[in-house]
Amino acid sequence: MNGEIFGFEINIWLDALARLGLAVGLMTVAAMALIYLERKVIARFQQRLGPTRTGPAGILQSPADALKLLGKEDLRPKNADPWVFELAPYFVFVPIFLVFVAIPFAFGWQIRILELGLLYVLAVSSINIVGWVMAGWGSDNRYAMLGALRAAAQGISYELPLVIALVAVAMVVSLPGDVRGSLNLGEIVTEQGHIPYIVWQPLAFVIFYVAMLAELNRTPFDIPVGESEVVGGPFVEYSGIRWSMFFLGEYTALLLLSLLGAAVFLGGWAWPLGETVAEQNEILGVLYQFGLTAAKTGFLIFTVFWVRATMPRMRVDQLMAFSWKVLLPLSFAQILANGLVLVYGWPDVLLLLASGAGLVLLAVIIDRAVKRPAERPGRPSGALEGEAAT
Amino acid sequence: MRGIVRAMATTLGTFVRGPVTREYPERHRPIPQRDRAFPLLLWDFDTDEPFCTGCHACERACPVECMTVLMKDNPAHTSLGGTSKRRKIIDKFWIDYARCMRCNICVEVCNFDAIAMNNTWSGHEISVYDRADLVMDLPQLLAQHKAGAIDEWVAP
Repeated sequence: MNGEIFGFEINIWLDALARLGLAVGLMTVAAMALIYLERKVIARFQQRLGPTRTGPAGILQSPADALKLLGKEDLRPKNADPWVFELAPYFVFVPIFLVFVAIPFAFGWQIRILELGLLYVLAVSSINIVGWVMAGWGSDNRYAMLGALRAAAQGISYELPLVIALVAVAMVVSLPGDVRGSLNLGEIVTEQGHIPYIVWQPLAFVIFYVAMLAELNRTPFDIPVGESEVVGGPFVEYSGIRWSMFFLGEYTALLLLSLLGAAVFLGGWAWPLGETVAEQNEILGVLYQFGLTAAKTGFLIFTVFWVRATMPRMRVDQLMAFSWKVLLPLSFAQILANGLVLVYGWPDVLLLLASGAGLVLLAVIIDRAVKRPAERPGRPSGALEGEAAT
Repeated sequence: MRGIVRAMATTLGTFVRGPVTREYPERHRPIPQRDRAFPLLLWDFDTDEPFCTGCHACERACPVECMTVLMKDNPAHTSLGGTSKRRKIIDKFWIDYARCMRCNICVEVCNFDAIAMNNTWSGHEISVYDRADLVMDLPQLLAQHKAGAIDEWVAP
């Protein structure tokens, strides 16, 4: 059995190895670059300079940190469950790494072209919640446990709107031959050559973006790792290489979901003129398509940093309420509207109108929630009287 | 909702404005002419000798007694066949920079405008490992102005 990579026929095992190596290498480098970029961008938002000492403009800061982490002692608490504790980082790291397989970077440039790519991505990427819970449970530390429970609650709650927002797009993909609906990421991107799906489905994009922030445990949804509340969450007890694996996983997940968002909503490599350029000149076309993907992904990542530099952390109850009471119903409404339009064969403009109306509704709901005076639990009246008596 | 949008706009504004950090040891910003570091002696280029006659005015006025002045007869005076009009000239001069409090009084009392406050970065960056190294002698005090590295400024 022979596989094919970059036009060369090679043994299928070598082929798999090459693809794995590509994914792992890309992921590690990308994560280190993202950590460096985040420090620089956040510093700029706070009118600082960020790392400047290591190499030109501090560019070697991430490799230096990685070396330091590799050199640190790999500690395990005495009461920790050895298996669960030691395996947890892999459960966070490996699913995210597996997801890379299906992500399209340019036309035909996927590690594997999967017919059910979107389903695969969503199914595999949600496994890493297990890793978080394992980390919290195995550490035998109550802060870690609290953080893990928060991570599980948040991860599962926001997984649903995330998936449904993506499904909303997957069902309106129009393929040649008047067929609607596809889960093949390559096809989803190709069909956005003229108009990206953010135009037809703005509500789905906003829901996807918010749920993405929550899935990544980024501000304002960083309660599982909130330093002031649970001193770092599930990885309080980790150090050295295992701790760095959590961070590698986290930053790769950021890259990955941004790539997914860029591919599904912003038109990935196809919009604008991705295919036209590729028809003119093959090499230039591939470079242009890579550039488009990188620019859109970079923009999404930048907005994530931007939100982090702006927003304070939400409370747990606000977080859960926002997911279950707002995002989930709205995303269901979105697929319902899409379904009606598809079943009755109404024009596509209705997709835009329905989604836009949903977006306005979301804005109104958020506005009302922000303006409502905070409800604080009052003290029991008996305690108050007792205090007054003394 | 408006609050959220305004917050995002605010942070974007700080992003666009750029960092306010001054990378001090790498980049020295120009310092004002009236900046007051440690006192040093000025060099009279016309007669090629210090302005200072060793009159002890600064030494007596110094509130922290950081100066030591020794005077001598000027070997270059006209009566001895030289070109200088100064009958007396400075022989030895020490200023203990570790003790100096940069009060500017020595500059104000000087009758000959022979002493000035250093207004360059080299007047500020003089950290040493041994406190004794901060006691400057006459050649060290004169060197900077002699080399033309001082933009001298004496209070009018």
